[in-house]
Amino acid sequence: MNAADTYALAPLIILAGGSVLILLAGAVRPGGYLYGLAGALIAASLLGSLCIPAGAVMPGLAVTPFARFFAVFLDSAGLVALLLASGYNKRRGIVGEEYPATLLFALVGMGTACAAGNLLMLFLGLEAFTFAFYLLVAIERDSVRGGEAGLKYLLNGTLSAAVLAMGIALVYCSRGTLGLSELARQPAPFEPLFLAGICLILLGLAFKLSLVPAHLWTPDVYQGAPAPVTALLSTASKGASAAAVLLILPLMAGWRGSHDIFWCLALATMVCGNLAALAQTGIKRLLAWSSVAQMGYVALAFTALPAGGGVAALFYAVAYGAAGLASFGAVTVLSDGTDRDAIDQYRGLGYRNPLAGAVLAIALFSLAGIPPTAGFMAKFAVFSAALRAGETALAVTGAFTALAAVFFYLRVVVALYMKPIDGTEAEARWLTCSEAMALAIPAAAMVVMGVYPSPLLDLLARILR
Amino acid sequence: MMTGLPLLTILVFLPLLGCLLILPVWKRPGAARLLVLGLMGGELALALWLYASWQGLAALKPAAPGYLLLEDVPWIPAFGIRYTLGLDGISLLMVVLTAFSFCVALVVSWRAIGEKVSLFLALLLAMEAGIMGVFLALDLALFYLFWEVMLIPMFFLIGIWGHGRRIYSTVKFFLFTMFGSLLMLLAIIALHLLHARQSGVATFGLFELIRTPLPAGTQLWLFAAFFLAFAIKFPLFPLHTWLPDAHTDAPTAGSVILAGLLLKTGSYGLIRFGYPLFPQAAQAMTPLIYTLAIVGIIYASLVAFAQEDMKRLIAYSSIGHMGYVAIGIAAWEPVALSGSIIQMANHGVTTGALFAMVGMLDERAHTREIGAFGGLWGKIPLWSFFFLIFSMASVGLPGLNNFVGEFLVLAGAFAKAPLAAGSSFIGIVLTLVYMVRLVQEVVFQVERRPLPLADLNRRELSVLAVLALLTVWMGMHPAPLLALIHGPVQLLTGGAP
Repeated sequence: MNAADTYALAPLIILAGGSVLILLAGAVRPGGYLYGLAGALIAASLLGSLCIPAGAVMPGLAVTPFARFFAVFLDSAGLVALLLASGYNKRRGIVGEEYPATLLFALVGMGTACAAGNLLMLFLGLEAFTFAFYLLVAIERDSVRGGEAGLKYLLNGTLSAAVLAMGIALVYCSRGTLGLSELARQPAPFEPLFLAGICLILLGLAFKLSLVPAHLWTPDVYQGAPAPVTALLSTASKGASAAAVLLILPLMAGWRGSHDIFWCLALATMVCGNLAALAQTGIKRLLAWSSVAQMGYVALAFTALPAGGGVAALFYAVAYGAAGLASFGAVTVLSDGTDRDAIDQYRGLGYRNPLAGAVLAIALFSLAGIPPTAGFMAKFAVFSAALRAGETALAVTGAFTALAAVFFYLRVVVALYMKPIDGTEAEARWLTCSEAMALAIPAAAMVVMGVYPSPLLDLLARILR
Repeated sequence: MMTGLPLLTILVFLPLLGCLLILPVWKRPGAARLLVLGLMGGELALALWLYASWQGLAALKPAAPGYLLLEDVPWIPAFGIRYTLGLDGISLLMVVLTAFSFCVALVVSWRAIGEKVSLFLALLLAMEAGIMGVFLALDLALFYLFWEVMLIPMFFLIGIWGHGRRIYSTVKFFLFTMFGSLLMLLAIIALHLLHARQSGVATFGLFELIRTPLPAGTQLWLFAAFFLAFAIKFPLFPLHTWLPDAHTDAPTAGSVILAGLLLKTGSYGLIRFGYPLFPQAAQAMTPLIYTLAIVGIIYASLVAFAQEDMKRLIAYSSIGHMGYVAIGIAAWEPVALSGSIIQMANHGVTTGALFAMVGMLDERAHTREIGAFGGLWGKIPLWSFFFLIFSMASVGLPGLNNFVGEFLVLAGAFAKAPLAAGSSFIGIVLTLVYMVRLVQEVVFQVERRPLPLADLNRRELSVLAVLALLTVWMGMHPAPLLALIHGPVQLLTGGAP
C-alpha cells in the first residue's frame, strides 16, 4: 500500500480518525461544538470523495466510481442526519460525544462496505455500520422504547450477521478465495455448496434491506429509535445494503435462481409492506412500513438487472433516501419533549410550521410516486426496467400496491392541511437554521431530481458499467 | 416577432411564475388577487392572440401536418423522453377554454374564499399550468406527468376549501383517478418498449409511436388501459361515482374547473392519444363505448331528476352531457367528432356558468337545497334571467351553444350507428325534464322560505354577461370554431384535409 493508495482512502481515514478524535475531544472538553466538528469532518470527507480521483485498488478495498458515488450519497445523508440531530439531541437530553462519534463510525462502515473488494471487507463494512446503529438506536437512555428497539435490532442483526458469515464461509469453502472479482469470473452452473453460501448471503442482506419475510424488526426499531437516527437508518443503511447487493449479484450471473429469489421477495414485500402500512395510526410506524414497501420496488428492480434494473434500483435508492430524510426529518423537527407520533397530532401543522409541513408533504408525494417529484421518476425507471425484462405480473402488482400506498400517504397530508384544529395539538416553534437546512436540502433534491433526473441517470449508468 | 418566442412553454409556465410572484404579497390577499387576475388576464390575452392569428400560423410551414406550433427539445435521454409541446386547432380551442375558465373561476370566488387566500390562488395557478400542459403535451411521458400533476392542486382545493364530506370526496377523487392513471402508465411504457423493440428507436413521442404496428391482442390491452384512465375522467358509467361527490363538495372555483376543464382532459386524451395510437382496438370497442355512454346519459338524467341539491343535480347533468361527447368520439367521423369537440367547449362554458350561479346563490342563502327556493324571478330577476339562459343552453335550445354540439354529434353518429344515435335522443328529453323541473322549482313558483337575497353585484354581472354572450355567440355563429378544428379533425378521422 503506497502513498497513492492512502491518498485514495483519505475520505475513509478522515472519518475513522475523526470518530476517534471526537471521542478523545469529548473526554477532555465536552460540549455542543462536537456536532460542529463532526459536521466539518463529514464535509471534508465528502469533498475528498468528490475531488480525489477514483481507480486505486488495494488488498480488500476497490475505490471505484461506484464506491465514490456511494460515499458522496451516504456522507450527504449523514450530514443531513447530523444537522437534524444537533437540535433534537439537545431537546431530548442526549448529551455527550458518543452520538457524533458513533455516527461517523457508521459512515466509515458504510463507506467500507461500498468500496469492498472481497467478501471479508464487505462483511466488516456491513457489520461495522450495523453495530454503530445498535448503539445509536438505543442511545436515549431514559427511553424504554429506545432500549427495546435497540435490543430487538441487536438480536435480529446478530442473527443476520451470523447468517451472512456462514454464507461467506461456505463460499470460501467451495471456491478457496474471497475476492469479488475472482469469484465473479467463474460462470454458471455453480456447485451446490457455492449456491448454499450465496443464498445465505442473500438472506443476510435481505435482513438489512427489510425485505419480507426478514422485515419484522423494522417497525419496532424505527418507532423506538430517536427520529434523526431513524432518518439515517432508513435511508443510508438501506442504500449501503443495496450497494452490497449490487456487489454480490455479479457472482451469481447466469444463475436463474437469483432472479427467482428477488421475484418472490419483491412480490411479498410490495404487498405486505403496503397492506400493513394501511392499518397504522402512528406516523413513525407508518413510515417504517412504507420504507419496507419501498424496498420491495428496489427488489423489483433487482429482478430486471439485464434490462437496466441496476440504474433503476440505484436511482430509486437515492430518491427514497431523499424522501426518507425529509419525512423523518419533519417528524424530528415537529417532536419536542416526546416524539409526536399519532397522525392526529399533526393536524394543522401544515399552516403552523409551513416549512416542515411542506417538506413532509413533498416527501409523502415522492414516496407515493406522484409527479413532479423524484419518487415518480424512480417508479417510472423501475417499472420501465421491469416491463423491459418481461416482468409484467410484478409491474402490474407494483402499480396496484402503489395505488394502495397513496391512500395512507394521503391520510397524513389530509391531517397536515385539511383537518380542523381543536386545540389538542402541541404548539409549533421556530426552526433553527440547521434544522431548516436539513429539511430544505432533501426537499430541493426531490424536486430537482423529479424535474431533471438526466444528470443523475447518466452518472449512474456510467458507474455501473 | 411573437412567433420567435416559445409561446407554448410560456402558456404552460406563466402560471407557475405567478406562484413565485405571489410570495412577496402572501400576507396581503387583496394585492395577491389583483396580481393573479392580471396574470390570468395575460394568459387569456395570449390564448386569444393565438386564436386570432391561427390562420396566419397555419399558413407558415408547420413542423407537422395540422399543427400550428411545435416545441421539441430533448429532456431525459436515458428514458427516451422529450419535452414536446404542440398546438393544433383542437388544443387551441381547449387552451382558450382553459385560460377563460380560470379567469371565470377567479372572479367568481373573489369574495367567496376568505381564508388562506394566497394558498388558494397559488393552487389555482398550479392547476392552470398542469391543465395547459395536458392539452399541449405530445410526448406520452410528458402528458402523463401533467395528467398526474393537475390532480394535486385540485386535491388540496377540494379538501381545504370545500364543504360537506370534503375529505372523503377529495380522497375518493384522487384515488379513483390514480387507479386509471397507473394502468395507463404501464401501457405507455409497454407501448414505448414495443416500439423500441421493433424499430430500435426508444421514444415516447406521439408522432413516432402512431406508426407502431401492434398485434391485435396487445393493442386491445393497451387501449383498454388508456381507455380506463380516460373513461374515469369523462366520466363514463360505471366509473362516474367520484364525480357527484367531488363536484358537490368542491368550492365554486373548484367545481367550475372540474366540470369545465378536468372532464375535458379525458375526452381530449381519447381523441389525441387513444384513437390515433390504437385505431383497430378502438373500433373494436366502439359498441362498448356507445353502450356505456347511452346508459350513462339515461341513468344520470334519471338520477338528476331526483336530486334535491342544486350542485349535485348539475353534476349529474355533466355526466349526461359528457355522454354525448363520448358518442361523438365513438362514431369517429368528421361531423360527429367536430360536434364532440365543440360540445366540449360548449359544456365548459355552460356548466361552468351554472356552477358559478349556484355558487352565487349559496353565498347569499347558505343553502343549495332546491326546496328552499322558489319565486326567485320576482326577488332576484337578474340572477334568474341568467340562470334561465344557461339552463336552456344546457337543455340544448337551438340558438344557444349546446344545440350546435348535440346536433352535430347526433347527425354524424346517425350515419354510422343509427341505433345508438336514436337511443340517445331519449337523453335529450330526459335532460329537458330535469332542467325544467329545476328551473320551475327554483326560479318560478312561489317563494318557499323567506330568504334575504340580494341581486347580482357588478362583478358577478360582468362575468355572467360575458358567459351569456359567449353562449349565444357560440350557438348562433359556431362557424369560426368549426373552421378552427376542421383541419385536425379531418386528419384524425382520415378524411382529406
